[in-house]
Amino acid sequence: MAKQKMSKLAKSEEKLALKLLIPTFIILLVIALYPLGQVFYTSFTNRTFAGTGTTEFVGLANYQRLLKMTIKELPPVIDEQTGQQKIDEETGQPVFEHPIRVLPRRPNLYRPVYNFKLAGHKYVIGAITPDFIRAVINTIIFTVFSVLLETILGLGVALVVNSEFKGRGVMRAVMLVPWAVITVVSAKMWEWMFQPTRAGLFNMLLNKAGLGSGNFSFLTNPTLQMPAIIAVDVWKTTPFMALLLLAGLQLIPNELYEAAEVDGASKIRQFLTITLPLLKPSVAVALIFRTLDSLRVFDVFQVMLAQKRYSMASFNYFQLISAREMGMASAIGVIIFILIFIFAIIYMKSLGVDTE
Amino acid sequence: MKKYLALFLSLVFILSFATAGLAQDKAEITLAAGNVGKELQFAKEAAQTYMDEHPDVKVNVLTTPDLSNDRLGLYLQFLEAESPKVDVYQVDVIWPGDLAHHFLDLNKYGAKEVADQHFQEIVQNNTVDGKLVALPWFTDAGLLYYRKDLLEKYDREVPKTWQELTDTAKYIMEKEREAGNPDFYGYVWQGDAYEGLTCDALEWVFSNGGGAIVNNDKKVSINNEKAIAAIQMAADWIGDISPTGVTGMAEEDARKMFEAGNALFMRNWPYAYSTGNSETSQIKGKFDVAPLPAGDSGHSAATLGGWNLAVSKYSEHPQVAADFALFLAGPRMQKKRALMTSSNPTIKSLYDDQDILDAYPFMGNLYDVFTNTVARPSTPTAPKYNQVSEVFYQAVHSVLTGESDAETAVQYMELDLQDLLGYESGDPRQP
Repeated sequence: MAKQKMSKLAKSEEKLALKLLIPTFIILLVIALYPLGQVFYTSFTNRTFAGTGTTEFVGLANYQRLLKMTIKELPPVIDEQTGQQKIDEETGQPVFEHPIRVLPRRPNLYRPVYNFKLAGHKYVIGAITPDFIRAVINTIIFTVFSVLLETILGLGVALVVNSEFKGRGVMRAVMLVPWAVITVVSAKMWEWMFQPTRAGLFNMLLNKAGLGSGNFSFLTNPTLQMPAIIAVDVWKTTPFMALLLLAGLQLIPNELYEAAEVDGASKIRQFLTITLPLLKPSVAVALIFRTLDSLRVFDVFQVMLAQKRYSMASFNYFQLISAREMGMASAIGVIIFILIFIFAIIYMKSLGVDTE
Repeated sequence: MKKYLALFLSLVFILSFATAGLAQDKAEITLAAGNVGKELQFAKEAAQTYMDEHPDVKVNVLTTPDLSNDRLGLYLQFLEAESPKVDVYQVDVIWPGDLAHHFLDLNKYGAKEVADQHFQEIVQNNTVDGKLVALPWFTDAGLLYYRKDLLEKYDREVPKTWQELTDTAKYIMEKEREAGNPDFYGYVWQGDAYEGLTCDALEWVFSNGGGAIVNNDKKVSINNEKAIAAIQMAADWIGDISPTGVTGMAEEDARKMFEAGNALFMRNWPYAYSTGNSETSQIKGKFDVAPLPAGDSGHSAATLGGWNLAVSKYSEHPQVAADFALFLAGPRMQKKRALMTSSNPTIKSLYDDQDILDAYPFMGNLYDVFTNTVARPSTPTAPKYNQVSEVFYQAVHSVLTGESDAETAVQYMELDLQDLLGYESGDPRQP
């Protein structure tokens, strides 16, 4: 209908507009859609990185290898003499069969990811690529803890530098230093501080405090790896969080506080009823930024843990570079893309961020 | 204002093109060189010598990462892009099989005439389908570095077996700690999850009679009692004679700790000999090298290492690049390299060279170690060696950090390798 009413002039203008948009479309096509499409396509093949072999279309095989999981019950080991379940003499725990005997081996070998007990039975979760499943879990743990801590600390920092005091300008600049340092450099710096000898800062301090003998191995001990890496990220990204929240704080008009003061509201009351609600949009934006950013964390993991523990992105890197499985690596890329997409949508819906 | 900016930018463009045009007269080639110990310094000096002798060539030296896995990652990115940015690559002894199709056949560029001067095993290793894809540059074997002053002080022998090493290390470590160095450890080695751990663990397993992961006749041989015992032995060192942090250590980390005077024994490659005797080292003149200890097989095992020079198929100046590679791998530069970085030459006649033997007596004394090395299974597993190695070092690393026990890890290793390669299991090869 609208088209019929359009004058000739309008039509030709519309055509012109389309023509003028062509360069933009081409650029988008070349720099965004083409590589993305290429990754999608490669994820269905068995292409080798920098190799010569012929590339075949393998359908969903890469995704199956990454995501397929199974749960099996571990049968109890029966003591032949008593006919009862064997009890480990050292721990006093009942003995179950080893996962290696229970999990399927053909056509793909499943390896244990996690054991758990439910109502006296013991189960094992197996996966074909347990490293990837662990990488997903690592990344989610990393994201939840680092974003949570960064938000709390960032809010604290933002509130401090938002109040009036001497040297506030300098303080605001200084606050940004960790964020300005290149991640690889700061990760290296932390690596030195985490050194497993007394030459490392943390071991020296802990040793002075009477803990350990100066050989806590933060980056190789499986239980210390995650806390260490979260600490690095919190140190580095809290300033960014503070900056975003500070911008939000400055939007809150002072009159509101003055009015509250007159009405006799306490500082805490002011914070809970004025600051927090008005800061919510800023917090939401900051959370989205940081969550999506941490889900694709690569540099800290790559520098500090390399192949000792993976994030999704660093696992992707090693699949490509070390195992040279380009098809598999592309499939991981697609999975990361979809995961981040889902997170983004959940955030937008649940925090009510306006799309307008 | 904007107008001037545009003018300025276009001037910059013109100028940069003009200089690029001028540079065209000189053939410009790039060497991707390692940066462990003094080798980068050597590469730069060698490049300068070549430029002095060939004024029409400009040689750039590209620094690459320390860890061989990271270096391979960088190379693969150049090679996948078929990039002419790097002309000569320093490649690990385990890569020629995997990367052969990216490199030129150097036999066609004059390497045929010099090939028989080199160790034949390495030439064989670098020959893929009749093409010599890389020139031997220097060879490596794992060595046991020991503090001769401390062994003398506590009247102990250089250990011949792993058990002796463990006992001596524990004894002297405790004495030294009592004497006031609480940071002193018995033994440091390469325990991070990377290619270096494959080298170290292969030495434990092979010397213990546990075979070389995959046999040359394409049989997976890792699942056996001896291999399990060898890996368990190393896991027991951690927190005892080796620091817990050893599971994060590469060559340079171990060397720094040894050179700071904080370790009695160290497993490392020959390059650490020259750096250990440099001015900044705390242990200058206080250490020596020996073959690694033997295990249950009664033999010592040293993993074959070493680096070669390959010329990229995508080079814009293949003739110049090949000539430069031949120059670097030739006797004059190998001798200079040996003297400067204590790396072992691959040219047989250099082992009779008095200058080299005077500077590094071990090259003569330990000649047998260098000629009787155990090779990583890169030939029977090509082109999947890198994945095989990853399965191996990840499994060993999980035992070292206590995430898995040696038996389970080795069982999974066997299944994983069978899946990956499609080979049957076999009995381990003995030294």
